[in-house]
Amino acid sequence: MMSLSKGKINVTYTVGDINTNDVGMKDFLFTLGCYPGETVTIISKLASNYVVNIKDARYSIDEQLAKAILV
Amino acid sequence: MKVALTGNPNSGKTTLFNTITGKIEHVGNWPGVTVEKKEGKIKKELNRSGEDIVAVDLPGAYSMSPYTSEESVTSEFILTENPDVIINIVDSTNLARSMFLTTQLLELGIPVVVALNKSDMNDKKETKIDVDRLSEKLNCPVVKTVATKSSGNGLEQLISEAAKLGSSKHKQQGPRILGASKPQNKDEFEAADKRRYDFVNKVKNEVEIRKISSEMQTRQDAVDRIVANKWLGIPIFVAVIWLVFSISQAWLGPWLADAFVGLIDAFYGLVEGLLGGSANPFLSSLLLDGIIGGVGAVVGFLPLIMVLFFCLALLEDCGYMARVAMVMDRFFKKIGLSGKSIIPMIISTGCAIPGIMATRTIKDERQRRTTAMLSPFMPCGAKLPIIALFAGLFFGDKGWVGASMYLLAIVVIIFSGLIIKKITKDDSSSSYFIMELPEYRWPSIKRATISMLSRAKAFIIKAGTIILVCNAIVHILQTFNWQLQAVAENAADTSILASIASPVAIILAPLGFGLWQFAASAVTGFIAKENVVGTLAVTFAVTNFIDVEEYALVGGAGEVSVTFGITAVAALSYLVFNLFTPPCFAAIGAMNAEMESPKWLWGGIAFQFGMGYTLAFIVYQVGTLVTTGSLGTGFMGGLIAVSIMVSIVVYLMYKKPSEVVVKNLSEAV
Repeated sequence: MMSLSKGKINVTYTVGDINTNDVGMKDFLFTLGCYPGETVTIISKLASNYVVNIKDARYSIDEQLAKAILV
Repeated sequence: MKVALTGNPNSGKTTLFNTITGKIEHVGNWPGVTVEKKEGKIKKELNRSGEDIVAVDLPGAYSMSPYTSEESVTSEFILTENPDVIINIVDSTNLARSMFLTTQLLELGIPVVVALNKSDMNDKKETKIDVDRLSEKLNCPVVKTVATKSSGNGLEQLISEAAKLGSSKHKQQGPRILGASKPQNKDEFEAADKRRYDFVNKVKNEVEIRKISSEMQTRQDAVDRIVANKWLGIPIFVAVIWLVFSISQAWLGPWLADAFVGLIDAFYGLVEGLLGGSANPFLSSLLLDGIIGGVGAVVGFLPLIMVLFFCLALLEDCGYMARVAMVMDRFFKKIGLSGKSIIPMIISTGCAIPGIMATRTIKDERQRRTTAMLSPFMPCGAKLPIIALFAGLFFGDKGWVGASMYLLAIVVIIFSGLIIKKITKDDSSSSYFIMELPEYRWPSIKRATISMLSRAKAFIIKAGTIILVCNAIVHILQTFNWQLQAVAENAADTSILASIASPVAIILAPLGFGLWQFAASAVTGFIAKENVVGTLAVTFAVTNFIDVEEYALVGGAGEVSVTFGITAVAALSYLVFNLFTPPCFAAIGAMNAEMESPKWLWGGIAFQFGMGYTLAFIVYQVGTLVTTGSLGTGFMGGLIAVSIMVSIVVYLMYKKPSEVVVKNLSEAV
């Protein structure tokens, strides 16, 4: 598995794991539909942030969170 | 009958609430605008049931699961207050996520009606949803709605479905996801939630036909790449903000204000004429100079504030705010804040109270508290009159002073952020940034107009109550001395007000404005910042502050400066002092609510006071040294006060955290 931060634009990845000690963030990502087995697509890399598509919505996440999402 | 409005953040709950109740609650196109529940009665035109229906607008939530700590207002309300019906507002462009909450709501036993909101956006993207099929799958009525439209929006049908279910005492049956027993612990909940998503995915695939897959690049994404570009993001943000403030403070606002002031002057003349020479001189002076003059000096700035709020509403409506948060994140992280901190700060340029309340979307406690503490440093609408007054009277060029105050505010926030980061020993490594990016849309002129008018109404009410009373009291206190005799023409210093304010004025002397009039204005400013200008108008008996050109005709702007008896440098110092001291009491109350810690609240207020005092001291003393070649009055006293405040801050910054001290001690033993 690699982290999402190393992913390519316009490629849809399947989430393998969320690697963080922050249980609250892990649960929050789950409610957004970002958990093992679901897909995530990188739309753009802007400044130090990533724009990703989860389910049918766009989110801006920072590099730290992108590193925690393993695909 | 009570109807709860629930749904994901930014699904349009408050817009729908406003349309069905006729209220004007704050809306914006980013997730997390509503932070507290709001109640309102549904309009008669929409409600044909004959029974009163109260709608309750709740903050957005993604989940009702007991293991997700946030969004507790929503689940608490639903579980404890037993609404008769739940209207679940579903963003129809994002069924896959929104229906997760829907399935949880369906299991509560309370009848649910689903409003498929933003259905006009789906039409545009040619996404089709089979409403009948969806209704059958969820076992509840489903109505297509467009809450932003005023007619043909599906809301009448939505209300009639809700009213029908509410009076039927029907017990909602949920989809069979959980099985026989309710989950007991976190693992079981997680397993159940996975099944929940499986169910949602299945339903979605059956009812939705998408022509354009959501992973495809869209024009919106192309816009994001420009607006949130690494290099262009900041210049674009600066340009947008500059435009908002130029329009409200340099172009349209002052132009309208000039016209408006003519009306106030005419009113003053009219009342003066009506009173004639026969009225009691004390009462006519109280009415003319105390009330009309003082309130008029404040109300004269109303057009500036209205234009500002109109522009801010357009900005909040178009979807740009979430992008600014993204652009600012990397910079704000360096000063211990989150990118989301920029939203409270932008809102605070209108009013600090909603600004501070908007900090609630920041999850990290330290970042949220720091943002609540620093947001009031942005000059709010009520401080605009102070800026406009001093810029006009002392500096001629309004644009330069106004712009530099905003710039100074940003510098102060960055500097303060760094200090607080150091005091709280934050390492900032443990907080993530995630924010939903709503779709851009053309801002609605109608919504902006409504927001502006509601703001103007609140302002006029405030001017007619708090500010009026304050001005009347100030006028009475300065008219009489302690023996309750009217003070003589040339002995204003013997008035009650002068003797109360003089001790405060001593503290302010090192800042260049140690006059009791300025001290009284700074103090009434804590009740409402508009009072600063009002009290100055009353205590110096100047009634028209805005029409500086008029002054030039009468006797030159210099005349007002002479009336004030302070130098331009001291005026700038006074301006800085008022902008960067603690906000009004109402905003301090909001700080208290969001910080949830007396230590942070008092620390914050002390910090704000210290910042205002120190900045004003530097501006006055350095400015005086540069312009006259010698130091200003009270330099030594001020220097001692400032040194003490700075030493306390430096001590706190470099103090070892207590755990480390304990560890060192135990190692020593």
